[in-house]
Amino acid sequence: MTSKKYTYYPGCSSEGSGSHLHVSTTAVAEKLGIELVELDDWNCCGASVAHVDGGYLPTVALSARNLALASGQGDQDIFITCAACYLKSHQANEKIRGGENMRGKVNDALGAAGMSYDGGLSVRHACEVFVNDIGLDAIKKQVSNPLDGLKVAGYVGCQTVRPFANTERGGNFDTYDDPSFLDDFIEACGAEAVEFDNKTSCCGGAIALMSPDKSMGLIKNILEEAKQKEADCIATPCPLCQQNVEMYQDMINKEFGTGYQIPVVFHTQIMAVAFGLDANKDAALDRNTIAADKLTKIANKN
Amino acid sequence: MNVISPQAAPPQASSKYDLGFARWVYANVEGGAKMSLCMQCGVCSGSCPLGDAEMDHGPRKLFMMVRAGMKDAVLGSTTIFNCTSCYNCVVRCPREVPVQYILQSLATKAVAEGYAEAVKTDNTRFSGAFNWSTAKFGRTDERLMTAKYYFSFGLIAAMKMSMANLKIALSMIKRKRMHLGAPHRIKGTGELRAILAKAAEIESSAGGGS
Amino acid sequence: MSDKGKIGVYLCGGCGIGEAVDLDGLEQVASGEFKAPVCKKHDYLCGEEGRKMISGDIASGDVDKAVIAACSPRVMSDKFQFGGAQTIRANLREQVVWSHPAGDEDTQMLACDQVRMAITQAVRVSPPEPWKEGDFSSKVLVVGGGFTGMTAAMETSRAGYEVVLVERADQLGGMMREGAKVLAETPPYRELRDTPITALIEEVEADGRISVITGATVAKTSGMPGKFEVELSKGGAETPAETPAETVGAIVVATGWRPYDAGKLGHLGYGASPDVVTGVELDEMLAAGPALRKSDGKAPKAVAFVLCAGSRDPEHLSYCSTVCCGASIRQALQLLQAEPETMTYIVFEELRTPGVAEEHYRAAQEAGVIFIKGKVSGVDSGGGAGLVVTVDDALLGEETPLGGLDMVVLATGMVPNSTNIDAPSPEMDEEKLSALSADIDPEAPISVAGYLQDASDDADDKEDAAKEDAGEGEAAPPTYPEGGSILNLQYRQGPHLPILADGFSDSHYICFPYETRRTGIYACGPLRRPMDLAESALDAAGAALKAIQAIHNVKEGRALHPRSGDLSYPKIGLEICTKCRRCTVECPFGAFDEDENDYPILNPTRCRRCGTCMGACPVRAISFDNYSVEMLTSMAKAVEIPDEMDEKPRILILACQNDAYPALDMAGAAGCQYSAHVRIIPVRCLGSVSILCASDALSAGYDGVILMGCKSGDDYQCHFVKGSALAGVRLSKIEETLKSMMLEKERVSSMEVAISDSASVGKMIDDFVAVIDEIGPNPFKGF
Repeated sequence: MTSKKYTYYPGCSSEGSGSHLHVSTTAVAEKLGIELVELDDWNCCGASVAHVDGGYLPTVALSARNLALASGQGDQDIFITCAACYLKSHQANEKIRGGENMRGKVNDALGAAGMSYDGGLSVRHACEVFVNDIGLDAIKKQVSNPLDGLKVAGYVGCQTVRPFANTERGGNFDTYDDPSFLDDFIEACGAEAVEFDNKTSCCGGAIALMSPDKSMGLIKNILEEAKQKEADCIATPCPLCQQNVEMYQDMINKEFGTGYQIPVVFHTQIMAVAFGLDANKDAALDRNTIAADKLTKIANKN
Repeated sequence: MNVISPQAAPPQASSKYDLGFARWVYANVEGGAKMSLCMQCGVCSGSCPLGDAEMDHGPRKLFMMVRAGMKDAVLGSTTIFNCTSCYNCVVRCPREVPVQYILQSLATKAVAEGYAEAVKTDNTRFSGAFNWSTAKFGRTDERLMTAKYYFSFGLIAAMKMSMANLKIALSMIKRKRMHLGAPHRIKGTGELRAILAKAAEIESSAGGGS
Repeated sequence: MSDKGKIGVYLCGGCGIGEAVDLDGLEQVASGEFKAPVCKKHDYLCGEEGRKMISGDIASGDVDKAVIAACSPRVMSDKFQFGGAQTIRANLREQVVWSHPAGDEDTQMLACDQVRMAITQAVRVSPPEPWKEGDFSSKVLVVGGGFTGMTAAMETSRAGYEVVLVERADQLGGMMREGAKVLAETPPYRELRDTPITALIEEVEADGRISVITGATVAKTSGMPGKFEVELSKGGAETPAETPAETVGAIVVATGWRPYDAGKLGHLGYGASPDVVTGVELDEMLAAGPALRKSDGKAPKAVAFVLCAGSRDPEHLSYCSTVCCGASIRQALQLLQAEPETMTYIVFEELRTPGVAEEHYRAAQEAGVIFIKGKVSGVDSGGGAGLVVTVDDALLGEETPLGGLDMVVLATGMVPNSTNIDAPSPEMDEEKLSALSADIDPEAPISVAGYLQDASDDADDKEDAAKEDAGEGEAAPPTYPEGGSILNLQYRQGPHLPILADGFSDSHYICFPYETRRTGIYACGPLRRPMDLAESALDAAGAALKAIQAIHNVKEGRALHPRSGDLSYPKIGLEICTKCRRCTVECPFGAFDEDENDYPILNPTRCRRCGTCMGACPVRAISFDNYSVEMLTSMAKAVEIPDEMDEKPRILILACQNDAYPALDMAGAAGCQYSAHVRIIPVRCLGSVSILCASDALSAGYDGVILMGCKSGDDYQCHFVKGSALAGVRLSKIEETLKSMMLEKERVSSMEVAISDSASVGKMIDDFVAVIDEIGPNPFKGF
């Protein structure tokens, strides 16, 4: 299989709260013939919060530096796993490509560090690459340990699909309100993707971090449906969704008198297990605070 | 009558329906030019996850308030600081008004203008802590940023919040999801700071957004 | 009387007829009972072979009246048209075999009766001779030289016909001003375009077929389609100048609209400040140059438009005028084009921007117009701080002052020019007034001297009682708007064209737009209802086409719609006529005038051939070549009435051809089954049914009679305006007769059946039959 090469921007959460996404993505990429070269000296993208205190242009400049650095590593596409990093980087890239005005201002700012960027690269979400460049068939081919009997609620979230999934530059790879790619990944791995109406309901995003009490209701809706649909676990591609839906379950149980203990894993963790890789070294299942026992069991069977 | 030049300082909210504020928003806020096309259908408010619970005015009403020249009410609202950036409004608006972009940009303006309600929100503090980490290390150090955020509320509050989230923090540490060593630092922190400073300078002199 | 003729009876066995009834039995009726010289059967009459059989008989001279017993007369009419012979149809399919059980005795009796009625009919009809005496004009008169009128004139001229275009003002153009702007009509709908009126005026003035007469009104219109005599009056009522009379074939009325009187809008600030203007006044300014304040001549810096000013308001105009929202948006765009910094607000309750106006709404928003949804509770002159419009803002949820305004524009509505307000109202005698009021209020039956007096009194009494209950005084009769008559028709129905709600020349005439209830005269444009330029242009073209159609048809003696192509017309037996004038008064189209001896004279081309006159005449003096009271009663009597002991009642149904008869056909096509004891005779209109038909039928032994027709009343569906209403009124008179005959009044009934009632008409019939069964058989059977 020809190796596809990408410049990989893992984002700040890969070093901490989202490290299991990074580990499992790296493992799965190798199996799928994807060569990921990490972006050297990448900085924070600013996510959904930087601009409030930092201002509009400085926030764009954060991504601009990453793009300028990436163009120094070649013209291959940039591969991003975190939904927020993807959104900010893609947005900035399109703005710079879009008009003289923004391109001029950004390059002025980059000029303070002797850098520049002309808008020549493409910024792509990891899931879109899986769908368009790799394809489901190739994924299925790698499944040596099908996840028989595992029921998974595919929770896509917001920023992975909105607002770019339906655009040309965003790869035109799925819809905003009822995307199927995650369910396809799940089924490709041999598991059952339960019907999940809340698949694109918001988890509260950054608001859940700063003011958890405001998002309890939102997260509860997601957990409740997963419970109703008897899902063994929730799978998601976004590190913030994974964290929010996982770590606040105790708080929610206290607030609403519920008893949720639903494991929340990444799609790449599921893939890693299905590809017959190691539960901890590759699928990083030991990093989930609510253990995905059933998934681990299937991994260890191998 | 007030004929406001887009480059001047924003006007005071004097009479109701002062078009001056609306025009200033159109010219100075990201996506503002498209805001004039809002036909008040309410799909944005209907799609907003926190619109009902946490916003004092839904996005639709907020836009009408902009048109009505209610500058203080707009820039002091909770609306602009409780947006989760889910982008439902952006993809669903039938007139393709970039609602979220406008709201977030209004938040930025409110902070820049120094509105008390704006400066003290959770969102603004969080953003401040976030940007502190980025400026210092080039990346978000999750535990230091969180600590800085808590402490922005004052010592007592910080202690309380830490205690409330202690269990979560410990479980994350246990699962190797909180970096405990020295903060990851990029090589180009100096470069980054220069770029950010220059960007801020360009922005304040131009007085405009996109 | 009609020539008995050479009758050929053709029985079709196709479409299941042959399987369901015994055709031999029908042949027996034709040849045995009626001694028809020719009687043939065929399995597929409408096919080539079947038709050749019939046309062969006609060609050989054996047959000149073909009785075709097959499908409904509503179908295959083109197939069963034969030169040199009349066609009479008997409905054996939809109303016999499709709606009744096959092989059944009652079904067979019904089929036999259908044949009997058809042959009886055939004996009593003659081929209609068309009326086409004298010269007919191919000219069209267009009244109104505005956009609509000029468009109608151009369309008529382009089709090759001469036009006389009459305009009241000294120049053409109407409400459109040269120099004005209108909405774009091509994408991207952002650039306003110049008014089309300038080019149109040039075109009209240069057109060789259009004779333009300005500064003139119509003084008199007499005659009839094809031969309208029109006298014009130039120079106003004071100094009328002679103009030669014109003879025209058809008339198009396109007198357009005028703005609602803003003097009545004091509550919106009009009159209190010179800077509160109407949309029309703003357009006058914009057509000539920039819009300037009337108070100090300066350009306004902040302008608010108040939409629906005096519209959709029970105190003023009750309706929406369609174009004001779009016009206000256009004006806002014009103001911003001239001065982009102008603060522009549009206050609306609903924003109606159909079609391309929606694109202009977007353009206005892009240009910075602020749209405020709310109800305006007041407009004040602020006292130095500018005008203030107080809005109950629906979107903000609070009452807010919109202040600091330099100008307020009231978007007022359109009032149709159904009268000429520059001229005094015409004098009308009592008869004309009552005819006019009946025209406006379709619920009021047309009062005839003495005949329907009680009925109209009843109607008035009911109305008065209702108003008394509501606490009002005696009910005022509906009035025509003030102003001179547009056409000054010299008709016995008065000088005006009928109007309906709110003064618009409309007719409720379903299926027939431009219809005015005066034959050969067509209304178009905002006179009919508020409409924009695009719609008006289409309306003008439509009316022009109808006018041309009229000219063509009357020349050949053909009726216009709804009985398009009918060559028959009512003939009066003057020797029997008692001069009661019921025909004259009851005609919905004013087709009759009176001669010097008070006998009725028909204006044949005004006639729609409905036969209302025939139904009105108490002495049966009126008949058509192929339709008469005698024909109807003979057909009814041709039916075999079984003996009382047989317990087979007979119900006569007179079904109007426009609604009830099609509904019955469609019921059959859907397989609905109903009583086989009914005998259905199609009539042109229930108005043509003389009440004598009902009493004759009862004397003949029918147990019940149903008059089945379209809806009457305010929202009438009757194709001849008042037919079913008149039938209902005449029916109420029969109670006396029935009492004197010792018969129950339930035996004669009228039923409202719309063409869409096919699913329920069967049940309506069966319910009536049940009632008759209850009452018992007609004691006059067998007498």
